[in-house]
Amino acid sequence: MRLDPRTKLIMVLCVTTLAVIYNTAEALLLLLAATIGLLLLFGIDLKQVIIGLKPYFFLLLVLFWAQCIFTPGGEVLLAIGPVRLLGTRGLLLGTSVVLRLLVVIAAAVILTTSNSRDFITGLVQWKVPYEIAFMVSVTISFLPVFRDELVNVVTAVQLRGVELKQVPWGKKIYLFRHLFFPVVYGAILKAQQLSVAMEARGFRAYPRRTYLRQLYLTRWDYGLMLACPGLTLLMIGLYKANLG
Amino acid sequence: MTGKDHMPDGDFLGKEEAVFLKLDQISFSYSGKKSAVLSGVSLSFSRKGITAIIGPNGCGKTTLTKLMVGILSPIDGAITLEGRSLQEYTLAQIGRRIGYVFQNPNHQLFCSTVAEEIGFGLTSRGEEPEAIRERVDFFLDYFDLLSYRDQFPLHLSYGEKQRLAIAAVLAGAPGFLILDEPTVGLDAYRKKLLLNQLYKVAAMGGGMVIVSHDRDLVEQAAGRIITLENGRVKQDSGWKGENGHAS
Ligand SMILES: Nc1ncnc2c1ncn2[C@@H]1O[C@H](COP(=O)(O)OP(=O)(O)OP(=O)(O)O)[C@@H](O)[C@H]1O
Ligand SMILES: [Mg+2]
Repeated sequence: MRLDPRTKLIMVLCVTTLAVIYNTAEALLLLLAATIGLLLLFGIDLKQVIIGLKPYFFLLLVLFWAQCIFTPGGEVLLAIGPVRLLGTRGLLLGTSVVLRLLVVIAAAVILTTSNSRDFITGLVQWKVPYEIAFMVSVTISFLPVFRDELVNVVTAVQLRGVELKQVPWGKKIYLFRHLFFPVVYGAILKAQQLSVAMEARGFRAYPRRTYLRQLYLTRWDYGLMLACPGLTLLMIGLYKANLG
Repeated sequence: MTGKDHMPDGDFLGKEEAVFLKLDQISFSYSGKKSAVLSGVSLSFSRKGITAIIGPNGCGKTTLTKLMVGILSPIDGAITLEGRSLQEYTLAQIGRRIGYVFQNPNHQLFCSTVAEEIGFGLTSRGEEPEAIRERVDFFLDYFDLLSYRDQFPLHLSYGEKQRLAIAAVLAGAPGFLILDEPTVGLDAYRKKLLLNQLYKVAAMGGGMVIVSHDRDLVEQAAGRIITLENGRVKQDSGWKGENGHAS
C-alpha cells in the first residue's frame, strides 16, 4: 500500500491534534502505542528511529525533570526538609509532557517515508502556493539536518577531550547552553546557503511550473482521509465525555 | 614532550617502534548499504613520522580515519589503541590521545568565538587561564588568525576555518594526529606554515596520519605512503630508509 503524501500529512495532523488535546498520561500512552502501531504498518524500522532519537533523550529528560520539580500539588514523594522536590502531580505532568513529545516525534517520522519532492507536488496540486508548500517540505527535510548537526557537535566536543557522559549535571547544562547558540546559528547559516544555492539554480524564476510527476489519490487515500479526521473527532468526543 | 603522559602501559615506554594504533582485518559498510566501503584492511601505526593515505575520491579514506578514532565502529575485525581494544575507550579518552581534524571544518567548530574554539580543549581539561591564554595567543598568531580572535568561527572563509580547525586540535597537544585533507583550501604560504608546524609535531615524537590528494605534500612530507583503492589497501610503502622527518 503506497499512500499519497497528503494522506500521511492528514494522519499526522490528526495524531498531533489528539496529542495536544489529550491531557492524561494514560490517554497519551495509548495514543503513543497506536502511533507506534502505525509506524510498524508503514514498515518503519523502529530500531533506527530509536538510534536516531538518542541525542534527544537528554532534552526529554531535562523537560521531564523540570516539570517534576516545578509543579506544585499532589502528595509529596521526595523532600529535603521543608523543600519539596517531587510530588505526584509533577510526576504525572512530567510523564505527560514527555509522552506527548514522543507522540509528535513518532508521528513526524511517518512523513519521512515520502520524499520531499512528493510533498511539494501534492500540496501544489491542492492549490497551496508553491512557496508555502516548499517551506513545509524544507522544514520536514531539515529535521535530519538539525539532528546530524547535533551529532557532529557532540562527537567533536568529545573528541576534544570532554567526557560528556561523566560531567556533572551543572556543568553539562552550562556546556549545552554554551553550545546551543553556535549549533542553532550554524544550522541557520547552512539553511541560508541552501536557499542561495537554490535561487542560483533558478528557483522561483518561473511563475508557472510544470511537474513531471502527477500524484493520484487512490481509494485507500480517500478512505483514510475521511476516516482519520472522523476517528479523531470521535476520540476527542469520547475523551471529553469520559472526563466530564 | 615525550608522550609518557599518554601511555599508561609500562611496556610501551622506550619502545620507539611500539605499535600505537593497530587495525586488524577491518571491514565496514554504512547501514542501509550493501557493498562494503572497507574490507579486510590491516594496518599498524607507531608514534613516529608522517604517514600519508592516498587514493581516489570515495575509496574510503575518510571512513578509515573515522574508524581509527572511534567515530564509527567496524563491522568486522579489531582495532587496538595502545594495546587495548578501541571499544574500551570513550570518545573523549581517544580524543586526548589522537587529535582528529575532520575533512569538513564546518563539522568541528562549535564555539562562539575563534579564541574560545582554540582554548576549548584546554579549558575543559581545567588548565590555568593564564596558560590557556598564552597558548591560544600563540596559535592565533601562528595560524594568522589574530585579527579574528572574537569572530564567530562559522563566519570565517573556508581556508580560515580550516586553519582554525587545525589550530584547535594542535592546541590540545595530542600525541598522535590524524588529518583528513588538511591542505585543501589553504594558500601556498599557509600550507608551508602548516607543514612546518606538522614537522615540529612529528619531530617531538608524535606520529601523524595525513589523508591527502596533494602530491607535493605527500612527496615532501610523508615517510610512508599507503594507497587505498576500492576499500582495500593496494600498497603500503613502509618507512623509507632515509626520511629526514621519520623520527
Ligand atoms: N554517512 C554515509 N552514509 C552512507 N554512505 C557513505 C557515508 N559516508 C560515506 N559514504 C560512502 O562511502 C564511500 C567512501 O567514502 P569516504 O568519505 O570514506 O571516501 P573518501 O576516500 O574520503 O573520498 P574523498 O576523497 O572524496 O574524501 C563513498 O562511496 C561514500 O559515498
Ligand atoms: Mg574523504
